[in-house]
Amino acid sequence: MTRLLALTSREFSSFFRTPLGWVVIAIFLCLSSLFFVQNAVRPGEPATMRGFFAVWWGLLLFLAPAISMRLVAEELRTGTIEPLLTAPVGEGTLIASKFFAAVLFLLAMLVPTAVYVVVLDTLSRPDYGPILAGYAGLVLLGMLYLSVGTLASTLTSSQTLAFLGTLFALLLLDFAPARIAPSLPAPIDGLIMAIAPSERMKDFARGLIDTSHIAYFLAASLWFLTLASLVLQSRRWR
Amino acid sequence: MIEATEVHKYYGRFEAVRSLSFRISTGEVVGLLGPNGAGKTTSIRMITGYLPPSSGRIAVCGKDTISHTLAARQNIGYLPESNPLYPEMRVRDYLTFRARLHGVRASKRQSAIAKTLDRCWLSDVSRKRIGYLSKGYRQRVGLAAALIHNPPVLVLDEPSSGLDPTQILETRRLIRELAKDRTVLVSSHVLPEVERTCDRVIIMARGRVRADGHPARLLARLERDHPPLHVVEVLVDSRSGHGQSGSWAGDVPRILSQIRAVPGAKAVAHEWVSAARPTPDPTQHSPSGSTPDLASRAGGPGSDWVRLLVTPEAGHPDLREQIARTLNKGLVLYRDLERRLPTLEHLFSSIIEADSTNPTATEHRESSQEAA
Repeated sequence: MTRLLALTSREFSSFFRTPLGWVVIAIFLCLSSLFFVQNAVRPGEPATMRGFFAVWWGLLLFLAPAISMRLVAEELRTGTIEPLLTAPVGEGTLIASKFFAAVLFLLAMLVPTAVYVVVLDTLSRPDYGPILAGYAGLVLLGMLYLSVGTLASTLTSSQTLAFLGTLFALLLLDFAPARIAPSLPAPIDGLIMAIAPSERMKDFARGLIDTSHIAYFLAASLWFLTLASLVLQSRRWR
Repeated sequence: MIEATEVHKYYGRFEAVRSLSFRISTGEVVGLLGPNGAGKTTSIRMITGYLPPSSGRIAVCGKDTISHTLAARQNIGYLPESNPLYPEMRVRDYLTFRARLHGVRASKRQSAIAKTLDRCWLSDVSRKRIGYLSKGYRQRVGLAAALIHNPPVLVLDEPSSGLDPTQILETRRLIRELAKDRTVLVSSHVLPEVERTCDRVIIMARGRVRADGHPARLLARLERDHPPLHVVEVLVDSRSGHGQSGSWAGDVPRILSQIRAVPGAKAVAHEWVSAARPTPDPTQHSPSGSTPDLASRAGGPGSDWVRLLVTPEAGHPDLREQIARTLNKGLVLYRDLERRLPTLEHLFSSIIEADSTNPTATEHRESSQEAA
């Protein structure tokens, strides 16, 4: 546990030791605040953050690969993976720490957006249910995307490749099922659609927190992280 | 303690390490030598658990590096050759991170960090970012990271790389001090450094161990098989090449034939000592029983120094006395009579040379009698 905490805190603080972390936070907060002001804070508009979350889910497609691209790829490129994997640390612990640090960074990005809730509360009487569900969906979707990004980052020492690989995989995961499913027979189309995270996000947008959706996001994240750990282990045996 | 038993490592079909077996006990400082591509780094990576052997077994402090990899790794302090560090981290933060990674308890962490900073001469830069440090300082940070958890086994790949001469000396002293109750494996290209630091050397070539033993004993063996070259400078007449009456300057053909006649001399070569205007001094040996006026007779115009290179036959390691007697007898003025003893570099190049001409050559390993 000490090792997991040590690795996670080092990784998390490394986001803020370089300008990259601050720049990413600044850009995305800037963009999201623009959307918030344009869509939510308008006379006659309902006091919801549905538009804000929809924008964030879209931004996550680019944001998650940007956060995750350096996680393992940077260690592979600079060779710092060697002192890490010769310390008493298992590959699973290393991958978990990278993932937790990335999720914490995502949360750190979301914390300032609480200002929008305060603004809504000042101007009107928002329904907090959909807002909480929206944040929960955002975090869960972020976890899934970051786990895919972690896997891509273990596959290459190039951050650019890791970014593009993650982006491609996420686009495939999000949009392919809706295109493929209609042309498939009855039981399979349902299964294919169940894979798509975008379908589940619709419920979160409505303010519905379904435990099956939570289980889906957690299990899928765990699946990609396990794959990432196996990929890292397999590097030793090549 | 490190114990390797019949370790092989393949990269695809390429055999990077072949039949590696050794045992390094506590208190030993062992130097791992070899040319590029000899399998040193692969061997070190297998010892540290970074790479698994294709076959065979490596144990560190009795723990198998594969089946009990975390326990084995806990016992190792490792400084990789490229010394990868996080440039954005401060020295103290990095050492804290490494200490936590190796499970150093919170109560002991600060004292361990302070001790290591002091030991590796890093106290004055502890708050600086690693990326701003010079190569020498970064090397010391890498060394400190290897020592932070006080491991019983240290594996140091090029520990003195980038250090200045004073720091090299200090590092050597530190390694010797650390080795009192530890096992230390050092890989280096600086052979004189290894000769001074290590109790034992393992020389690898093409993935195989070619020599294993105490440097002095390995050199003695080399000396026995290849007796050291003897060098002496003699004064000759450079105008005629013949010695003149009443002068210490001899003539080259005569001296060469005299030296060739020395029992045990295999071959004699000679070369002129360039721009050598001889200046007689009290350290020069003069033929016994004579009363030379060195200031006026030796080194006069037309005389010059010639360097003789005498190769002894096997079994005649020291011909200095015979050469001196011969030169004295021939009334030849000489200086700088010496035996060029083989160094680790000679041993290294002879092994590498033998390996390139005969890849199946047998390993130079100290016998138990020699070791005793």
